Amino acid sequence: MSGNFEVIGSRAARKDAPNKSTGKAQYIEDIKFPGELAGALLQSPHAHAKILNIDTSKAQALPGVVAVITARDVPAVKYGVSPARYDENLFAVDRVRYVGDEIAAVAAEDLTTAQKAVELIEVEYEPLPVLLSVDQATAEGAPWIHEEFPDNICAQVEQEFGDVEAAFADCDLVQEGSFFSKRQDGAFIEPNQCVALMGHDGVLTLHSSTQVPHYVQRTVAMVTGLNMSQVRVVKPYVGGGFGPKASATPIDLSASFLAMKTGRPVRMAYTREQVFLFSRARHGFIHKMKIGAKKDGTLMALDHQATLEGGAYSSFGIATVYYAGSLLGGPYKLPNMRYHGLRVFTNKPACGAQRGHGGVIARALFEQQLDIIAEKLGMDPIELRLKNMMETGDVTCNDLAMSSLGMRECIEAVKNGSGWDEKKGKLPPGKGIGMACGFFVSGAGYPIYRSETYHCTIMIKADEDGGGVTVYTASAEIGQGSDTAMAMIAAEAVGIPYEQVRIKSGDTDFGIDLGAYSSRTTLMTGHATKEAGDNLKAMILEVLAQELGIGQERLDIKNGLVKISGAPVDFTAIRTGYIKEHRGWQDQPQGDELTFREAARLAYLRRGTLVATGKYKPPVLGGKYKGAAVGTSPAYGCSAQVAEVSVDFETGQIKVERITDAHDCGQAVNLTSVEAQMQGSVSMGLGEALFEEVKFDAQGRILNASLGEYHIPTVMDMPETKCIVVESGEPNGPFGAKEVGEGAIMPTIPAILNAVRNATGLVLEETPLTPERVYLALKRHKGA
Amino acid sequence: MLLPTFDYYRPAGLPEALSLLAEMGEDARPLAGGTDLLVNLKLKKAAPKALLDLGSLEELKGNRTDDGKVSLGALNTASRLASGGPEVPGLLSLGAGALGSPQVRNRATLGGNLVTARPAADICLPLLALGATAVLAGPQGEREVPLDGYFQGPGYTVKQPGEILTRVLVGAPRPGVGGGYQKLGLRQAMEIALVNVAVYLELEGDGETVALARVALGAVAPVPMLSPGAAQALQGTPAGEKIFTEAAEAAAADAKPIDDHRGSAAYRRDMVRTLTLRALRQALSQAQGSKEARS
Repeated sequence: MSGNFEVIGSRAARKDAPNKSTGKAQYIEDIKFPGELAGALLQSPHAHAKILNIDTSKAQALPGVVAVITARDVPAVKYGVSPARYDENLFAVDRVRYVGDEIAAVAAEDLTTAQKAVELIEVEYEPLPVLLSVDQATAEGAPWIHEEFPDNICAQVEQEFGDVEAAFADCDLVQEGSFFSKRQDGAFIEPNQCVALMGHDGVLTLHSSTQVPHYVQRTVAMVTGLNMSQVRVVKPYVGGGFGPKASATPIDLSASFLAMKTGRPVRMAYTREQVFLFSRARHGFIHKMKIGAKKDGTLMALDHQATLEGGAYSSFGIATVYYAGSLLGGPYKLPNMRYHGLRVFTNKPACGAQRGHGGVIARALFEQQLDIIAEKLGMDPIELRLKNMMETGDVTCNDLAMSSLGMRECIEAVKNGSGWDEKKGKLPPGKGIGMACGFFVSGAGYPIYRSETYHCTIMIKADEDGGGVTVYTASAEIGQGSDTAMAMIAAEAVGIPYEQVRIKSGDTDFGIDLGAYSSRTTLMTGHATKEAGDNLKAMILEVLAQELGIGQERLDIKNGLVKISGAPVDFTAIRTGYIKEHRGWQDQPQGDELTFREAARLAYLRRGTLVATGKYKPPVLGGKYKGAAVGTSPAYGCSAQVAEVSVDFETGQIKVERITDAHDCGQAVNLTSVEAQMQGSVSMGLGEALFEEVKFDAQGRILNASLGEYHIPTVMDMPETKCIVVESGEPNGPFGAKEVGEGAIMPTIPAILNAVRNATGLVLEETPLTPERVYLALKRHKGA
Repeated sequence: MLLPTFDYYRPAGLPEALSLLAEMGEDARPLAGGTDLLVNLKLKKAAPKALLDLGSLEELKGNRTDDGKVSLGALNTASRLASGGPEVPGLLSLGAGALGSPQVRNRATLGGNLVTARPAADICLPLLALGATAVLAGPQGEREVPLDGYFQGPGYTVKQPGEILTRVLVGAPRPGVGGGYQKLGLRQAMEIALVNVAVYLELEGDGETVALARVALGAVAPVPMLSPGAAQALQGTPAGEKIFTEAAEAAAADAKPIDDHRGSAAYRRDMVRTLTLRALRQALSQAQGSKEARS
């Protein structure tokens, strides 16, 4: 829809591109402090055991060791992600619950000594029965992993919207299916790392590779007992997060305690293996669905059960189990929906949030079943989807309001872009084409803790000489491009070129920002940035209007120039004043329009330093039922994809040859960044569909905790990807913008599943679709 | 992930390297590309007191053709082998090009691949099929060991701790021979094969009768293995689909796969059949191809 914008919608070069492409970007690893100590963690080798005794004396005695801390040395404060499920202690008190559970931390003069000291800590364990699967954890008589959670039930959800049974009784077709997926790893490129420093002013500064400086600040304050003003979290450049970096880590907390104890900077870092052990990544899901439809294809009802294998702690899991249900409310009109969700504790690393939080596998099964329904009813899968598609303004049965929904445009775009009509049903054996849709929240409607807090605050300060502005935000640039997006929004709002905007981000000293999760930054931080930019412009124009003696409504700023409507106005006095102030300078303002520089300088001279602020929190959103807070959002992004695959019947290998991808992001802020998120989503969805699985042995140890053995797609595995950006104009978004970061992953897995089914006739019920799994299914299919 | 402490030596020539090795015995480990050794040191799977960097040993470098034999230096990188050249058998280029990623191929060496001796090694399989011979230098001089018999187990070979693998000898590329290499993995790069097969095929002057065939199988036994059944089935027969199918069946029967987290034994056996057939077709088309065809 591309409005009349100067900056928004362009392909402006990323603010971080020069630093990243020249190697000058500073990640935690690059930031060194004098007198640093190296920290190391002692983690449990047992998946489930009682701790009978911990003896740290040998470690303490090792030369070079400065501090050793265990549960005895830190406050007995339980923390976690959701306050309703604070179930973690920094260090195991009397029990370890997974291989990797933290027991102690050491600070030493160097890392070798710290690691050696860790090995010298003697722990006496009494092994307990190990529960590695949902079946084992829910078996009669299974021990409870947490005493406060009977039968290893972490969370249970029962929801019904409409009357599902009555609707089924009226259906012409009832389709049933199930699906089983594996745990994933986030596989971000930069393993978590942090450095904590205790200042003489009593302020603890934690530099951390995180998506959520604010929540880390809050957790560190709560667990250490410091107040929020005494904890500052700084996020330098971060090498990806994808969800698993959306909470405080044991190294964030350990380094903080060790810095407080020693008075010296303490650095701690995860190895790649420890990244796998900490996990907090995608759950393993088991879904069962029953879908009812009328003969004409009208969808009537969904009965859905999901069981999540959650690992040893709750982490984000309570939100995950809600999302797994709520994100099927749309984008199709579905008047009746029942959801039974269950998250179970096991003796494995805790799962959490990962791109497409909770909804990805539910979406995969649902879209696969839609294709089967279409086939049974003799409809084209696209026709069935269009028949049931919601429109802008529709509200789902679980109260999600589609304030903009370019779903139809997305479907048309991928249909035409892929040559669907020429290919569907006309491909040679072994080739297949499939499509799927999906949608996702544009920011969680509520913070993780119950609060009326603003979700983000922004300060924009004009340079005193009027040359540009600086945006101060606590939001988290983690590689997704939020600094660039906020700078573009600020430039558009203030009315100056993008190059005149500088941005400082990722520091809790700059204000409140809930962080980079739930695809919230563009819409939410974008709103606050726009508001601050609008306010700054108004401050400048107010001074200018007074000076010129005209009404402020006649003034605007665009692309760095003051626009005056109506009769010509004489601004010679302002220009002359500016030029006199800058005698001898080479770049005096000229031309027949007043510049932003002159106007902002004037405003400073009259008012002092100009700082405008902005803030955002979502309006009260629909839904009064239990769990309504998960899934409600000010806006929803949506997308459709067509996948084309070839299947090697003799080996079971699948090659995804082409993906045609359309996403409605409301309004692209930076077109290149939107396409990059779409491509990244395809890559991650492809990996989950075909390769990725964290594997465990019978003792609960990870078998493939490396990026050599845990397979994410390489560039050689990426299909040709055609990205089509749809812009529906979101009324609740800044300049019409909404999410792209996570919604874009939703259709990838089901589009591949549907294409594979088109190529082979197989309804596959388990990811990843490894060659062996597909080969065996083909063999069974042939035999049947 | 820190490297442990070790002493570092960079001997200037083979005699010095051998005497250092003799002096230190099993405390020292030779270092070539380091793509396995350095990783294992970080994982604490190996803890030698000293590393002997072979990088300066001219005796391990370069390739030369002599009397119908090609002598390949152990320090050839996988990249170098993958890019081919007049001395490098085409089959070896195929295997070397399938190893790891460009970065790994720039470091990994022919000698390292043979000494590390993993059952699915991308350079070992082609060399085994080519009937290559390893040259091992030791305190008592050099000895030549055919690769058929060289591999003893995963990571174990007949090479003694005091020996250094210096060169590999293979038949010089010539017309009428062809090679095929098939590798099955999850993804297209940075992959350890689930199953890999290398085939060497030599045709009689009639361009049809199989004079000699070797079929090497990877990831289906503790060592890279030759399939005697496949070789026997092919020998002296007219090359073609019928006999290739029989040979593939024989290869599947010879394979000794196990179940592990990467794949089941039954699947691997089936894949030996499929990949052998494909590698044979590939080798035949190369052998019957241009006059320039090389093994």
